Amino acid sequence: MSLLEVNNLTIAFGNKKVVDSISFSLDKGARIGLIGESGSGKSMTSLAIMGLLPDTATVSGSITFEGQELIGLSDRDHSRLRGNRIGMVFQEPLTALNPLMRIGKQIAGPLMIHKGQSLKAGLENALELCIKVGLPDPDRILRAYPHQLSGGQRQRIGLAIALACDPALLIADEPTTALDVTVQQEVLNLINTLVQEERSSLVFVTHDLPVVAAMTENVAVMQLGKIVENASVATLFHAPAHEYSRRLISAARSAEDSFSGKGAHQ
Amino acid sequence: MIRKAMKGNVSLIAGSIMVSITFALLILSFIWTPYDPLAVNADDSFAGISMRHILGADKIGRDILSQIIVGSRVTLFVAALAVTIAMTLGVSAGIIIAIASRKYQSPMIYAVNIALAFPAALLAIILAAIYGASTITAVAAIGLATAAAVAQVTRRTAHGILASDYVLAAHASGASTWRIIRKHVMPNLRASLLIQASAVVSVSVLAESSLSYLGLGTPPPAPSWGRMLAGSQQYLFVNPLLAIWPGIAIVIVVLGFNLVGDGVREVFDPTLRRIDS
Repeated sequence: MSLLEVNNLTIAFGNKKVVDSISFSLDKGARIGLIGESGSGKSMTSLAIMGLLPDTATVSGSITFEGQELIGLSDRDHSRLRGNRIGMVFQEPLTALNPLMRIGKQIAGPLMIHKGQSLKAGLENALELCIKVGLPDPDRILRAYPHQLSGGQRQRIGLAIALACDPALLIADEPTTALDVTVQQEVLNLINTLVQEERSSLVFVTHDLPVVAAMTENVAVMQLGKIVENASVATLFHAPAHEYSRRLISAARSAEDSFSGKGAHQ
Repeated sequence: MIRKAMKGNVSLIAGSIMVSITFALLILSFIWTPYDPLAVNADDSFAGISMRHILGADKIGRDILSQIIVGSRVTLFVAALAVTIAMTLGVSAGIIIAIASRKYQSPMIYAVNIALAFPAALLAIILAAIYGASTITAVAAIGLATAAAVAQVTRRTAHGILASDYVLAAHASGASTWRIIRKHVMPNLRASLLIQASAVVSVSVLAESSLSYLGLGTPPPAPSWGRMLAGSQQYLFVNPLLAIWPGIAIVIVVLGFNLVGDGVREVFDPTLRRIDS
């Protein structure tokens, strides 16, 4: 049985459907990339899994996670899964951290909520998590405030918070979009290693095709709320079936070509 | 800790000195005053500055310094009570409205706007008519009227905080609404609340002065800076000192609390700190 199964998921605000009856499934330990331009509904899909859609949204269809139906689940029951069985990393690592709370407390948060740990025990575990996500000088970092850290360090913190309770599923919503290019690769490698080590499944949301190719084996291409193609990375690159997928690939190729000096000059 | 907070924080240092002066007057009022502030002495009518009356005397010869010292009781009582009423009511109403579902939100916002439009003086007249004019009715009117303003600012600020990424991230970590209010909304509201509290102090001290002037606040003969100021009005050109002393006293309190509010905000906000801890 698959870990996550999305069936005919539709999300609408009033009459406007932002996600239009999409379906995909994810086995335990497997990875899927959701790719599409902004407004294609990829972030809404991940928020629906988390149960964090604004209350103005109407949702229909079905999302099952570990055999449990998530649509129509009470917020209280859903919050037992959030940060515990499902972790989430956000796009903007600075704004996703409380500016007035020390890093240590923020990492200890999910452990205190879900594992009933004391602040002291939570902070001890936070120290180990800092080491795990490769942060230098973890003692200092636990006492620091978000504005005292660099973008890459903050995103590592975000990852530590998401993985604190060993979730079965990690949702990463454009986790590297706001980072410097050099830092992007480091963070991607880290997500790769950690997801492998923890044997978690991964839903990786991005608009960047080369990134998704490096992270996942399967890709669902989304356009205007629909999944227009769901294929393995290899198939998508060599035989894209949908027009939009072809455009994505040629865009990625031309960027690569101009970088290696082939492009228009020749 | 206090020394570290004070370092280079001009607002906090200046404000603390001014507030301390007021509290020193309050303590002094229970221990010693040069004269009985209510003692009438026709010989000293409009006495100027002298060794006998350091700040002079009013029309019926009451010692100004003694009245200023005792008047601090009313002023600080007014400030403390008004802040308590306004902040308790305003902050809880503001947060409740911010977290309420959309359906209940707009009627509550309308209610706050109506309360905001209701003049404090009218409320003071109503309360005075029912319970008899006293410092308490004046402060209750001021507190209730400013509570609406506090509620409105709190709601807006809390709304912004609730819409922020870090609250979404806290939800994604499984935090309950109550935990989010305690750990995320309250600390991030704190700076704005401090500013509002210091503004309420200033407004209430000034409003109590005007209400006392209208006969809706502290009844005579109990000395109040506001009423002293009002009483000096007819003699402004004859004896301007009568207006200057209570005026200075009010300025010190109002400015002092404002500066402290500003200075403390700087201490609480780690992003404004010059030296990182």
